[in-house]
Amino acid sequence: MTASRLHTSLMHGAPAKPLIGSLGHLLIFLWSLAAILLTQLRGGFLLPGICILLLSLLYPFALRRILRPRWLILLGILLVTSILFGGGQPDLKLWGVPLSSEGILVGVRMTLSAIVILLAADGLSTSMDITEVAGLFERLGLQGLGFSLGVAANQLPNLRQSSTNAWHSLRMRGGMRAQWWRGLQLFLLTVLTNALRRSEDIVLAAEARAFRPDRSRAAPLRIGHLDWWLIPVGLVFLAGVLVLT
Amino acid sequence: MKFSTRELVTMAVFGALWGGIEISLGSVLHAIKLPLTGLSLTAIGLLIALIGRLFVPRRGSTFFIGVIATVLKLFSIGNILIGPMIGILTEALVAELILDIFPKPTRLSFMLAVAGGSLWTLIQPFVTGLLIFGRTLLPIWLDMVDQGSRLFGLGSQAALWIVLALVLLYLAVGAVAGWLAWSLGQMVSVRLRGHSPTTV
Repeated sequence: MTASRLHTSLMHGAPAKPLIGSLGHLLIFLWSLAAILLTQLRGGFLLPGICILLLSLLYPFALRRILRPRWLILLGILLVTSILFGGGQPDLKLWGVPLSSEGILVGVRMTLSAIVILLAADGLSTSMDITEVAGLFERLGLQGLGFSLGVAANQLPNLRQSSTNAWHSLRMRGGMRAQWWRGLQLFLLTVLTNALRRSEDIVLAAEARAFRPDRSRAAPLRIGHLDWWLIPVGLVFLAGVLVLT
Repeated sequence: MKFSTRELVTMAVFGALWGGIEISLGSVLHAIKLPLTGLSLTAIGLLIALIGRLFVPRRGSTFFIGVIATVLKLFSIGNILIGPMIGILTEALVAELILDIFPKPTRLSFMLAVAGGSLWTLIQPFVTGLLIFGRTLLPIWLDMVDQGSRLFGLGSQAALWIVLALVLLYLAVGAVAGWLAWSLGQMVSVRLRGHSPTTV
C-alpha cells in the first residue's frame, strides 16, 4: 500500500519547469520600468511601443483588462489633460482648440508609458504567487515576512467580519448618533482589541507547531528556462536603445 | 531585522488592518474620486501602523507593517494601482525614518511621523508623475493648485498661498492622526489586560 503510494507520487514527478519563472516576470517588470525611464530621458515612441507589444504577447489577460471601458476612459482622460496642459507653444488648431504639437507628443508618450506600467504591474501581480513575493522580501532582509503575510491574508476575512459586527452593534445601540466621535473611537478600539486577542491564538498555534522565525526558510522562487537569458537580453536591448537614440 | 513570532503576528494583524482598509475603503474612494482621498487613507493607514508600533516598539516594525499592506493591496482584486502601492510603501518608510530618530515612541514622534507621511501624499504625484508616468511638472502643479483652489475657495492666482495652505492642511491632519494613534494605542493597551503596550 505504502509502496504503491510512493510509486504514484513518483510517477507524477516534479512540475514541469516553466518557460518564464517568477524571477523572469520580475525581471520583465524591472526592464519595463527601466524602458519607461529611458523613454522619459530620450523621448521617442519606439521603446514604449516595443514594450507594449512584448507585454501584450506575454500577458494577454493584462491587455484585455486595459481594453475595458473603465481603463480606456481613464487613459483617455490622461491623454486629453496631457495634450491640453503638456506645455509648448500652440501651433495647430483642432475644432477651434489651440494645441501644441509638443504637447501632443508629450501626451501620447505619457499615455504609452502608463499603458506599459499597467501591463507590467498586472502581469507581475498575476504571474507571481503571494508567497514568492514574500520570499523575495525575506531575501532582502525582512525575515519572517512570508509567515506574517500568510497570517495577514488569513486574518483579512475575520477582520472584515469582526469590523462589520462591531459596526452593526454600535449602530443598533445608537452609538453613532449623539456622540459619533466617541462612537467611532469605540468602534476602532473594539476592532483593534478583537484583532489583537485573536493574534494571541495564532501565536500559540504557531508556537505549538514549533515555528521559529529564525528557522524558517524563504519560499523558493520559480526559475524558468529563459529567466537567466532575460538579464543579458534586456541589458543589451536597453544599451542598444541608448546608443541608437 | 529579526522579530519574534509574537511580534510577527502582531505586525501581520496591523498590516492586515491597513491593507483591508486600502482594499475596501481605498478602492471605493479612489473610484468615486473624492477629494483628499490620498490624505484620508494615509492618515487612517498610518494611524493603524503607529498603533502597531506601540505594540512592537522596534526599529523597522512600521515599515514591515507597510510592506504587508502593500503586498495585500498588490494581490487584492486584480486592480492595477501602482500609485497607491508606491504611496503605502513610501509613507511607511517616511514614518519609519522619523520614528527611528526618537529613542522610544512618544506622542510627539507619532505626530511628526504621520505628518511626514501625510506630506508625502502631496509630494508623491511630482515624483511618480515625473519618473514613472513621464508627466511634466506643470500639469501636476496645475492639478494641485486647482484642487486647493476648489478646497479653500481661493482664486488660482494665489497659487503660493494655496500650496502653503495645502501643506499646512496635510501636516495638521497628519499631526491629529498621530495624536489619535497614541491615545488609541494607550486605550487598546489598557483594555488588553491593563498592561503597557510593550508587554502585551
